[in-house]
Amino acid sequence: MNYVLRRAVSAVATLFAVSTLLFLLLHIVPGDPAEILLSGGGMAPSQESVEALRSQLGLDRPLWQQYVTYMGNILQGDLGNSFQDGAPIAQEIVKRLPRTLELILTAALLAVVIGMPSGLLAALRRGGFWDGLFSSVSSFGLSIPVFVTGTLLILLFSQILRLVPAGGFVSFTEDPVQHLIYLLMPAFSIAVSLTPVVFRMVRTSILEFLEKEWVRTARAKGLGERSVLVRHVVRNSLSPVVTVLGLHLGTLLGGTVLVEYVFNWPGLSGMLVQAVEQRDYPAVQGIVLVICILFVLINLCVDLLYGLLDPRVRYN
Amino acid sequence: MLRHFTLIFAVAFLLLIGGMAVLAPLLPLHDPVQMDVMSRLGKPSLTYLLGNDEYGRDIFSRIIYGAQASLAVSLSAAVLAAIGGVALGLLGGYFQGWIENITMRPLDVILSFPPMLLALLAVTLLGPGTGTLTVILAILFIPAYARVTYGEVLSVRNLEYVEAARALGHRSGRILLRTVLPNVAGPILVQFSLVVASCIVLESGLSFLGLGVVPPDSSWGLMIRGARPYMHMEPLGLLWPCLALVFTVFSINRLCDFLRDMFDPKASVAAFTLPGMLAGQRLSRTAHAMSRKAEPDSLLQIRDLTTEISTPRGPIRAIDGVTLQVRRGEAVALVGESGSGKSMTGLSVMKLLPRRIGRIASGEIWYSRGEGENARAIDLAPVPASHFRAYRGRDMGMVFQEPMACLNPVYTIGYQLVEAITVHNNVSKAKAEEMALAELKRVGIPDPERRLREYPHQLSGGMRQRVAIAIALCGQPNLLIADEPTTALDVTVQAQILELLEDIRRTSNIGLIFITHNLGVVAEIADRVVVMYCGQVVEEGSVEEIFYSPRHPYTRGLLASVPKPEDLNSGEKRLASIPGTVPSPLALPPGCRFAPRCSYSTEACSVAVPELEVVTESQAARCIRWKEI
Repeated sequence: MNYVLRRAVSAVATLFAVSTLLFLLLHIVPGDPAEILLSGGGMAPSQESVEALRSQLGLDRPLWQQYVTYMGNILQGDLGNSFQDGAPIAQEIVKRLPRTLELILTAALLAVVIGMPSGLLAALRRGGFWDGLFSSVSSFGLSIPVFVTGTLLILLFSQILRLVPAGGFVSFTEDPVQHLIYLLMPAFSIAVSLTPVVFRMVRTSILEFLEKEWVRTARAKGLGERSVLVRHVVRNSLSPVVTVLGLHLGTLLGGTVLVEYVFNWPGLSGMLVQAVEQRDYPAVQGIVLVICILFVLINLCVDLLYGLLDPRVRYN
Repeated sequence: MLRHFTLIFAVAFLLLIGGMAVLAPLLPLHDPVQMDVMSRLGKPSLTYLLGNDEYGRDIFSRIIYGAQASLAVSLSAAVLAAIGGVALGLLGGYFQGWIENITMRPLDVILSFPPMLLALLAVTLLGPGTGTLTVILAILFIPAYARVTYGEVLSVRNLEYVEAARALGHRSGRILLRTVLPNVAGPILVQFSLVVASCIVLESGLSFLGLGVVPPDSSWGLMIRGARPYMHMEPLGLLWPCLALVFTVFSINRLCDFLRDMFDPKASVAAFTLPGMLAGQRLSRTAHAMSRKAEPDSLLQIRDLTTEISTPRGPIRAIDGVTLQVRRGEAVALVGESGSGKSMTGLSVMKLLPRRIGRIASGEIWYSRGEGENARAIDLAPVPASHFRAYRGRDMGMVFQEPMACLNPVYTIGYQLVEAITVHNNVSKAKAEEMALAELKRVGIPDPERRLREYPHQLSGGMRQRVAIAIALCGQPNLLIADEPTTALDVTVQAQILELLEDIRRTSNIGLIFITHNLGVVAEIADRVVVMYCGQVVEEGSVEEIFYSPRHPYTRGLLASVPKPEDLNSGEKRLASIPGTVPSPLALPPGCRFAPRCSYSTEACSVAVPELEVVTESQAARCIRWKEI
């Protein structure tokens, strides 16, 4: 319990720091925030529009008042309105967030399903054919940026083989099969970078745990090789694998920006890229905040899962 | 072979692309921004080596100038981040306290942003461009360096000589710099190449989104962005920048792996496999267990057993022609310095030799099953390890040195006991738990109900060793091999564990092989003693014979190095120790292996390996001069 509480407190503290930083960033940048936001096109903004924006964002009030309002709004789930069309940002995020999550979780699932067995096989047959093959493929997979994978997949499967559409989206309720077809390539692109990470971690930790003395004890008991592997090697290697997966899911939350862009997947990232192009700071701020909340939550889950997997963490 | 090839490729590719990027203005390249409408999406030709892009610009020249932009941004960001990160890490690690908080804590906040997002945030505020890109990438990667440095400072600052210097009033800051910087140089270099690769990926990604390098400047990401809409007409224009990007990142990663192996040799010790060992680890002779009528009273007879271990410098004989015997209810102590092969003997009997690098090369291990007239002896040596689990636990159990490391930290004591019980008995879970409780009581663990539900880390060392013994006894074995079971424990607990083992041996009439380097322990527990040196038995006999009339100079040396009460009282006599060190198994002396350290050795000792000669009915020694000793 104590452990859960400690983790939760540190997660809340991080979120507080992140939201404060997001608020301050606009003011830290040298120059007048309103002018900066309006000078996107390279032209000097008119005095009136600067004034209008200033009062719209409340930039004319003292900093602390702005901060209190900002934090108050966040706590109520109000992330402000978009510069572009005045629509509430939170609503748009709520609509798009599940699509991004679906993409990431599918990719993570693929990575685990491919990475764990291949890592196990490579470790058990260390130095053998499969180890060599998987290790080479994984170091190559680690070197391909996601947007290159995505673009090349489109080139191969949509342009040359004409098997799947180059990108797009249909909601699951509308047409489940088509939905999954659209999901396939973007999820696979992310998995190409994530699987090698899982593979390497599994391989390393299996090799490490195979040498542990409790494995020898388990064999000395007379346990069968399969039980020894599953209960005393694979089970123990779950903790480091979960940790690494959690850390990389966070990085992936950023990486999806590119994948969603490549495949026209209407998740959070498409909205983010557009907001950045338009210098729609409230929208960018809102999306980044939500993604950071997710990031922190994922890490919290990982920590809790870690505690579940390793009793030593729980009791200390 | 493949590893070398990829490394050579990586270095060559990086030199080529880096060199061309640096020398780009001097090379006879087309102007990378000059458009040529006539040759839009042109195929590769002699004029335009890789063809033309959607504006008719020369792709080859744009790749080179793209490399220039990418490398300039990434290298300068990586250098800036390194300077900032190392400085913060040094400050935070050295001063600790509030300075640590203001230097290291903010880095955690940076780390709680996915890198791509922080970059996008900065672009929103500062606008796209190479300047913004460099600054933001530098900030993003400061934590990576800071953490490496910080960790190193923490480990160095408590070293004795640094503390000593501080106590003497030296400027420990300078000492720290002098010790820390060389130590972190390796990891920092590895980190540097990782960061450069990450920067290249991020830069190209941002440029691909149109938020990085600003057109008409060239960047690989921008080229991919530009060629994408035309991929159905000219896929090559898309492929070139993709290939350049992937090969560059791959080459840097490969170089990084190489650097890591160089600075951390432990990480890369390759597996060395004995010839023919991958195929199931079995002996070539026969896979069937040979059996014969057992000699009365005999439990285990090892004959001429040789076990090989492969090492990076070639195979060694960890044990070389060992012969020994254990009777029912008898305790045999296996004694010798580390490296004498005593543990390997135990592991060979259990078929628990190190995976893939250890094997029994020759010899016999006769193990007797059954009672009286029906007793049969089976030769276990040819039984493949994969078939051997039928014997483990039920016929022979083993207890190891480190009780903490021998129990799996993620399972309760109860789980690990029940697991051992259900392997050997077809019983329900409730019944197994009942039996587990009985086992814990048998090894004298107080409050066993509670202990069953606890994890290994919640128990004391002595408790854990009792649990390990209970686990080994679950299958009612006839032979227990205890490999230094008391070495990791303090003296009072040692005595309790010895008492427990002695008690179990009496009540269950099991044979005990007790492996130790501590002769003091031997006198308390053993009936007979086998002394090993360099993989060979050098002397064996009853406890009385070994302690009162040792015939081998090595045994005498071992005995002399045990502190005796009268030595402690006399005060002047120093504790004797055997001169010299155990020879490397790769360079054994010819003849008697102990000769170089032996005060009795003569020229004859180095001619041939002496035989184990019979001294009395129960004593034997491997020394040509045993009669004179």
